[in-house]
Amino acid sequence: MIDIIINEWRMFLRDKLFVFSTVFFTFSLLVVVFLGTIQNRKQQNYRIEAQEHVRNQWESLEAMNPHSAAHYGSYAFKPLSVLNSMDSGVNDLTGNVIKLEGHVQNEIVYSEVSQALSVSKFGKLKSSLILQYVIPLFLIFLAYGTLSSEKETQRIKLLVFQGVSITKLTFAKSLSIWIYGFLLLLITVVFQSLVNAIDLELSLRLMLIIVSYGFYYYIISSVATYFSATLKNNTSALSSILAIWIMWTIFLPKIWGNTVEKIHPLPSRQNFKSNMKEDRSKGIDGHNPRDKRREDLKEKILAEYGVDSLKNLPINFDGIVMQKDEEYGDKVWDKHFGSNYNILSKQKFLYQLSGFLNPFASLQSASMGFCGTDMIHHLDFLRKSEDYRRNLIKTLNDAHAYGGSKTGDWGWTVDNDFFKSVEGFTYVTPKIKEKIKYYFIDFSALLFWGIFITALIRFRINKNLVL
Amino acid sequence: MNTYFEIFKSELTHLVRSPFKLVSQSLFVFALIYGCQNGLDLFNKQTKEISIIKNKNKESVQKMILQYEAIENGTQEKPRRDPTSPYWAIWNTPSHAFKYPSSMMVFSLGQSEQYGYYKRVTNWSSTFDSDLAEEIANPERLAIGTLDFNFVFTYLSPILIIILLFNIGGLERDLKFANLIYLQSISKRSLLFLRFLFYFVLVVLILFILLFFYALVADVFKNEFFNLISLFSSIILYLLFWFTAFYFINYYGRGSSDNAIKMISLWLALCIVIPGIVHQVTAIIYPVNYMTDYLDVSREQRGKIFDLSSDSLEVELVDEFPWLKNTLYAADSTINSSIVNRSVSGLVNILNKNVASKIETSNEDKNKFIKKLNIINPVTAFQNHINALASTDYYAYLHFRNHIQSIIDKKIRLILEDTWNKVLVSKDTYIEYVNKFQ
Repeated sequence: MIDIIINEWRMFLRDKLFVFSTVFFTFSLLVVVFLGTIQNRKQQNYRIEAQEHVRNQWESLEAMNPHSAAHYGSYAFKPLSVLNSMDSGVNDLTGNVIKLEGHVQNEIVYSEVSQALSVSKFGKLKSSLILQYVIPLFLIFLAYGTLSSEKETQRIKLLVFQGVSITKLTFAKSLSIWIYGFLLLLITVVFQSLVNAIDLELSLRLMLIIVSYGFYYYIISSVATYFSATLKNNTSALSSILAIWIMWTIFLPKIWGNTVEKIHPLPSRQNFKSNMKEDRSKGIDGHNPRDKRREDLKEKILAEYGVDSLKNLPINFDGIVMQKDEEYGDKVWDKHFGSNYNILSKQKFLYQLSGFLNPFASLQSASMGFCGTDMIHHLDFLRKSEDYRRNLIKTLNDAHAYGGSKTGDWGWTVDNDFFKSVEGFTYVTPKIKEKIKYYFIDFSALLFWGIFITALIRFRINKNLVL
Repeated sequence: MNTYFEIFKSELTHLVRSPFKLVSQSLFVFALIYGCQNGLDLFNKQTKEISIIKNKNKESVQKMILQYEAIENGTQEKPRRDPTSPYWAIWNTPSHAFKYPSSMMVFSLGQSEQYGYYKRVTNWSSTFDSDLAEEIANPERLAIGTLDFNFVFTYLSPILIIILLFNIGGLERDLKFANLIYLQSISKRSLLFLRFLFYFVLVVLILFILLFFYALVADVFKNEFFNLISLFSSIILYLLFWFTAFYFINYYGRGSSDNAIKMISLWLALCIVIPGIVHQVTAIIYPVNYMTDYLDVSREQRGKIFDLSSDSLEVELVDEFPWLKNTLYAADSTINSSIVNRSVSGLVNILNKNVASKIETSNEDKNKFIKKLNIINPVTAFQNHINALASTDYYAYLHFRNHIQSIIDKKIRLILEDTWNKVLVSKDTYIEYVNKFQ
């Protein structure tokens, strides 16, 4: 088998078009990785500037009532992972800025796509675009004639008479094409590692990317070779494999992507907001002193401190009310945002299942996931920014309640040192080992396809079928 | 004429005998229907949502009218937010801005999923408020892209054409009898042209039948007749573009496989690679705007206005709105901080407008750059052209933002005018307000 692979490669290298294409692809991939890195860094610098700008404003706050500071709030700017330069996933579509303030869990806003005319339906030219669309197509071009040409020229009969196993021949041809795709993938990943500071975590992610793409290339080259072996001529082989490629990459992802949203529909914004508002109004309104729950809380606190009126309390009851209100609000946000996240997870799972029909869906999902740019990572950012908001508002409400002021003293302030002591928002992309469970299904689908196509070649290809 | 008919007839036979081509066509038709249906669903959903909001607004107006009647009869005391003051009366005047979906949306969802299409407008609103965010959607689905008519036509029709055409002329070369055909009384050019014409007519027919059907369903003929005609002609031009390119590929091609490889490579370059390059270069030159200028206005600069004393605010207000000098309050020499405070949103609005204009200018620079590259990126240009026809492109939403701003301005003017003229709002005045914002 190795001899056949070496022979195939000799043939490839004799073909000027192949050599030219290889040089072209290698050069394109290097340029694309380089441009992707530049764009990523530039955007990341802007983000850091924005985050620092907001932090400086916070640290420069003059003496202020803590509740006013809760309304002033802060902002979290969505950071980019290093591998965003390879596959930007959902990042161009999702918002980039989220306001963190009292009384409300906001949504992330100001997406890149909303800031200009639509440009590309398939995303920016990052290495993932070439690795997902262009290289597989090139592998198809290399593979479609690999056995059908041998049949058309009758050379295959010669090979069979010399004792070459048809199955081995098919595998060898398929592997020689796969090696080509894999080499281009390796070049991309190695260059990606060279132009970026790579740590253990990123290396692990890149390894997983290599495995996913490696599997996909194996599937593509094997399917193309299989068609080449079984169909009567080059044209039939090419048209069939192109039809499959179109179905996998263009047709099915969109059809199924749209369908899963119909199977598990998300609420409309209007309903989402009004349901939250309704649930929220059932609780303590920090600004509404007539609320019954406020009265209950008042009785409880007065009893706890053994006093008969709010003015005798050694603490500021307003701060306690507001914190309780926040905690009630948190339950409401958790219910409604949680329900949305749950629907999104169901949609994702259902979409991932389509990988068993369409390995491209698994590749796309795995690629985004391992680059840290998919919905799972996006939701992780939203959850962590919300955790920060809750912590921030609790700190401010606690200062209001226990910082030394009395109930009703809205003029009481905390100084600048207090604001400086409140930690800013930082976000670190989660470790892949924490998230890997979400991608088992993608791996399983790719593995399934790998085994399926191997079995197909092993058991379906025989002399009768090929000759 | 007879020759033409014979060629068309033989091409039809060729098509009918090719299951691969028939299946591809069926899939294409299925995708078109699915895409149009998606568009129709969103159109209906948005129309319904707008109507729900309008009904809610009507209910809220009725409640307010009852409240006025109760106050005027003396059966109810004025609440803390006194509706007889112009400020709270106008605050309670429902004034939603809507971007009514065009019925052409059936054919292109465009960027409609990236923007909100309704907004409750108050005197404190701005055109970049977070409640103007897009509908809740799965970001991965958005990244994969929505299957609408525009996508199917722009990206998949060239693929269908490739499938239909790659062996036209190529097959004869593959089987080495091409020269035999050209020995007969027809030139290679004419034969290829006529065979291409057959498929051109076929694709146009498929598209037009579906367009016609969905145009009827969505009332496009009634509402958007000229845009529909424009869509029809754009479709013809776009198809001509691809047919011409593929004609030359087939004419000079060396066989079916060679044709297919060249055609699919051209599709890949025009539909994926070039738009991807333009997108990436645009992102490098014009990175994402984190909107810090706007955030500064909404917190820092707004805060500075709130810190000003009533007399400084009054001076600023008269400076910005000179017509206030002719109001009742301006004739008073005493400062009424309540009137001044209720007018502050006028100053904040000016800040908002200034920063919005800066943001829109920077977005426009980005758009100009994208449009400049249309010459090498015709597919994106075409896609945006269809989006524009369906009012789902960036500019349709820019227009919506401008509409929102005009409502904010109107609200503020009314608040200032009536507050400074010390108008006492009655039920009738409130109804007048409601009518002004309908």
